[in-house]
Amino acid sequence: MPIHDVGYRRLKNENNSSLFRWLAICRIGVQLAWKSKWVKRLMLAAWLPVTYWAAGFFLVEKAIIADQLSAIGEAGSFNQFSTLALTESITNRFWIFPGVNDLQEVFRTGDIPEIRNTVWRWMLMTFFRYPQAIIILFLVGFIAPSLISQDIRSRALLIYFSRPISRLEYIWGKLCVPSIFIILVTTLPALCLYIIALLMSPDISTLPQTWDIPVRIIIATFGLVLPTSAVALMLSSLTQETRFANFSWFAIWGLGHGTWLTIALATSLQMGRPLFDPAVMQSDIVTNWSAISLYNSLGSLQSYIFGFETFAESWRGIISLFGITAFSMTILYRRISSPM
Amino acid sequence: MRALDGIDLEVRAGITGLLGPNGAGKSTLIKLLLGLVQPTSGTASFLGFDVRKQGRQIRSRIGYMPEDDCYISGLSGVNAVQFSGCLSGIPKTEALRRAHEILDFCDMKQERYRMIDTYSTGMRQKIKFASAIVHDPEFLILDEPTAGLDPEERETLLKRIHLLASQMGKSVLISTHILPDVQAICDDVVILAQGKVRLCEPLVNLNRTTAPSFCVRALENIDQLAMVLEKDNVEVIKNPDGTLTVASHSSELPEIIWNAAFQSGVSIQSLIPARNSLEEVFLSTVTDSPSTEEEN
Repeated sequence: MPIHDVGYRRLKNENNSSLFRWLAICRIGVQLAWKSKWVKRLMLAAWLPVTYWAAGFFLVEKAIIADQLSAIGEAGSFNQFSTLALTESITNRFWIFPGVNDLQEVFRTGDIPEIRNTVWRWMLMTFFRYPQAIIILFLVGFIAPSLISQDIRSRALLIYFSRPISRLEYIWGKLCVPSIFIILVTTLPALCLYIIALLMSPDISTLPQTWDIPVRIIIATFGLVLPTSAVALMLSSLTQETRFANFSWFAIWGLGHGTWLTIALATSLQMGRPLFDPAVMQSDIVTNWSAISLYNSLGSLQSYIFGFETFAESWRGIISLFGITAFSMTILYRRISSPM
Repeated sequence: MRALDGIDLEVRAGITGLLGPNGAGKSTLIKLLLGLVQPTSGTASFLGFDVRKQGRQIRSRIGYMPEDDCYISGLSGVNAVQFSGCLSGIPKTEALRRAHEILDFCDMKQERYRMIDTYSTGMRQKIKFASAIVHDPEFLILDEPTAGLDPEERETLLKRIHLLASQMGKSVLISTHILPDVQAICDDVVILAQGKVRLCEPLVNLNRTTAPSFCVRALENIDQLAMVLEKDNVEVIKNPDGTLTVASHSSELPEIIWNAAFQSGVSIQSLIPARNSLEEVFLSTVTDSPSTEEEN
């Protein structure tokens, strides 16, 4: 008999509260997802844009300081970095992005706290809306489709549901897996960027000027996490084959955005203007069909949360996301609750 | 279609064998007890808890080893058992310690660190068994626990189950088609057929026949012995292995047999009390069930 063979012993320990048993499901999901080389590469790639945006914050703060120095006649070599020069540069390079007009207006006011708050919000909104949204598309596409489909294929649902775990705890635990990765590539870098921007600002007075930004970042994270994770898990619960769920995930994004782009292209040809011309983008048909694209709806929600769109402008996207999330969660719950 | 109908079953502490033909409702009964399926009507309680409303309390007190080959892909054996412990509420570090202890108990050595996807059927059975007992449940439900095991592993697993029941005070319900397993370790037998309980008896009672009978093995002329016994109004059955099963309600049956042997000049090699095999009981119970008769 081996020396460590202790036979069967009674278990003497305090169990965890049942409120946190979903954590085990989440932890094992993250652990398994992290084994993928592609997930690690994507995580690395997701942090690369931070350097570009950090450089952007540096230029913004330099321009604001230049304005302050020139106001007291001490600008010197800082003259070329004025907010006026910056706004022209942004307008020329990023005219396609939403909220550029708001930036121009706020720069004209010359109110430094207001300029700082608006520019920081705009930069973080573009950070969420462009590089990170693309990364999330791929990251969730790699992680979430296997989460439930694999459990169905290997009949692991019996392992979960023969334990004191409810359906909702299972779903919550699984939802947390892609959510954690999304938080790691959006919220965390966005908060890091905010801290970098604070460190680059001249003094601590910038904190009360920009206190709302971390709150907006957290709300924007929820806006990203819930619909994307719910849709991905719903697709995962519909099949035993992970590749079908993978394909459906990319198809939903691709087809939705592709259809909207086709509508926008047709409209631009009809109007005789470039595709992303504001007149085309703000035309009734293009805005009405915008919600067909998950990407546009998420973008619209981000613009609303960061204060660059009003509810009247973004309600289609918000309602669409709410509907998609509710539908996905209902299907997901029904699939998980079906008799085994 | 009713998978289960009017089940009224009281199970004693110890090991109970749950038998029944395919489609009898065994798995449905187990899933009902676990709260995985809800009864369409009626009530059911298990360990004093209502299966409709208190599924969580029930599941925290029982260990379930499913028949299906279920596992979480990508985990090592020890992590799979640890994870089962965590799902039952054991803290992570404690669950790992406990998983190692249980795998030692199940005689699983270094292979516990291998990915579960690479395991043989026997090793997966061990992992399922270890996962079922990692949280020290009061009641164990084992669905086909010895399926896919070689004879040696099967015997070892049965010994472990017996040890859990006899020394650790666990109550065990074994659903199986392998009758020798039931005969080897069970205290009670429940036979289900067409969704109803057809028999619920201690195994000892099933081993007694309705009329006292003996199994007679003779050196030669067994047919002559049979003829003499039949003249004495004794029921005689010729077995394919060349023995006779002799039954009578007379309390002097052994003397009758010895006298018949003397009269017929047959030397008796062995005379032992006959027992009904569990298989006979099972077949007669299932065949005699009302629905089967109706179908026939």
